[in-house]
Amino acid sequence: MESTISLKVKGKGKGSKGASSSDDKSKYQVVKEWTNWSLRKAKVATHYGFIPLVIFIGMNSDPKPHLFQLLSPV
Amino acid sequence: MADIFPPLTAAQVDAKIKVDEKVDYSNLPCPVPYEELHREALMSLRSDNFEGLRFDFTRALNQKFSLSHSVMMGPTEIPSQSSETIKIPTAHYEFGANYYDPKLLLIGRVMTDGRLSARVKADLTEKLVVKANAQITNEQHQSQAMFNFDYMGSDYRAQLQLGQSALIGATYIQSVTNHLSLGGEVFWAGVPRKSGIGYAARYETDKMVASAQVASTGAVVMNYVQKISDKVSLATDFMYNYFSRDVTASVGYDYILRQARVRGKIDSNGVASALLEERLSMGLNFLLSAELDHKKKDYKFGFGLTVG
Repeated sequence: MESTISLKVKGKGKGSKGASSSDDKSKYQVVKEWTNWSLRKAKVATHYGFIPLVIFIGMNSDPKPHLFQLLSPV
Repeated sequence: MADIFPPLTAAQVDAKIKVDEKVDYSNLPCPVPYEELHREALMSLRSDNFEGLRFDFTRALNQKFSLSHSVMMGPTEIPSQSSETIKIPTAHYEFGANYYDPKLLLIGRVMTDGRLSARVKADLTEKLVVKANAQITNEQHQSQAMFNFDYMGSDYRAQLQLGQSALIGATYIQSVTNHLSLGGEVFWAGVPRKSGIGYAARYETDKMVASAQVASTGAVVMNYVQKISDKVSLATDFMYNYFSRDVTASVGYDYILRQARVRGKIDSNGVASALLEERLSMGLNFLLSAELDHKKKDYKFGFGLTVG
């Protein structure tokens, strides 16, 4: 009985310590997760959007070319 | 490849010498950018040799905006462990869009397998230029990106370079006299934890350009270009890696004629190569390329046509 009580107390102590260290860790983890997420999204956005962006900027420069000139092969 | 990391910046500031009667040291010209230190030598000696067919068509929609279509068919080499070169025939089509503005330059190229290569150059102010260069693929962790911030002073240039996977570098180059400019670089790479430092010097006159570069990665590069006339220039190059004891020396020529441009070079590795670009008519260029590697018995021939 005494041994079980002492084990429980030990267990609670360890548990609380574990929670505080994981809180400290989690701030860093959260920042890392956010930067990784944003970099991944930026990579996908650049991959799909860069050429359309260049075409958009080009079609709006003057003199404005026609859409027909964009698509025709001559 | 001994030199994985491209030259980045480092600190080497040379104090200005006191005013001389002949040279006005307070009014020196701006030096070439650090990555273009070997510009003349690379123009003559860097081989644009290709194998197979190459067809490039550029369609200008207006002065600033153009689209390009290019088709390449030919064997591509695969790095193999054995001494034999393995070549696999491939064919691909690449679509590109370019926007050229004095202040903003955007170049994008996309291939049929989904690989995008993008280049952006923006002049934020007269002196500060931002450049970005990216190669993005569909595969995981194969993409690369690099950002450069260049500052141009009156007789110096400084550059800061940031790359993905924690690569940071800086270069600095300063004009010391009218003809001589000295510079250096420093870089730190996160993934293989490596840092390096390098120095460079460049001496140029109207008739010749000599440049040298030493880096702590073990690479020593020296080259010399002599401009014989407006049309002819001869170049020689010496590359040495003092860790891997790799030596390569090459000699080449560059004839820029009215309708054609011929470049040829021969190497100490037993490689002889030549490239001919001929202007058949306005906007139509014909390319012939040949590279003979006598040591590895690998002979590559290519032809191509560039329109527009």
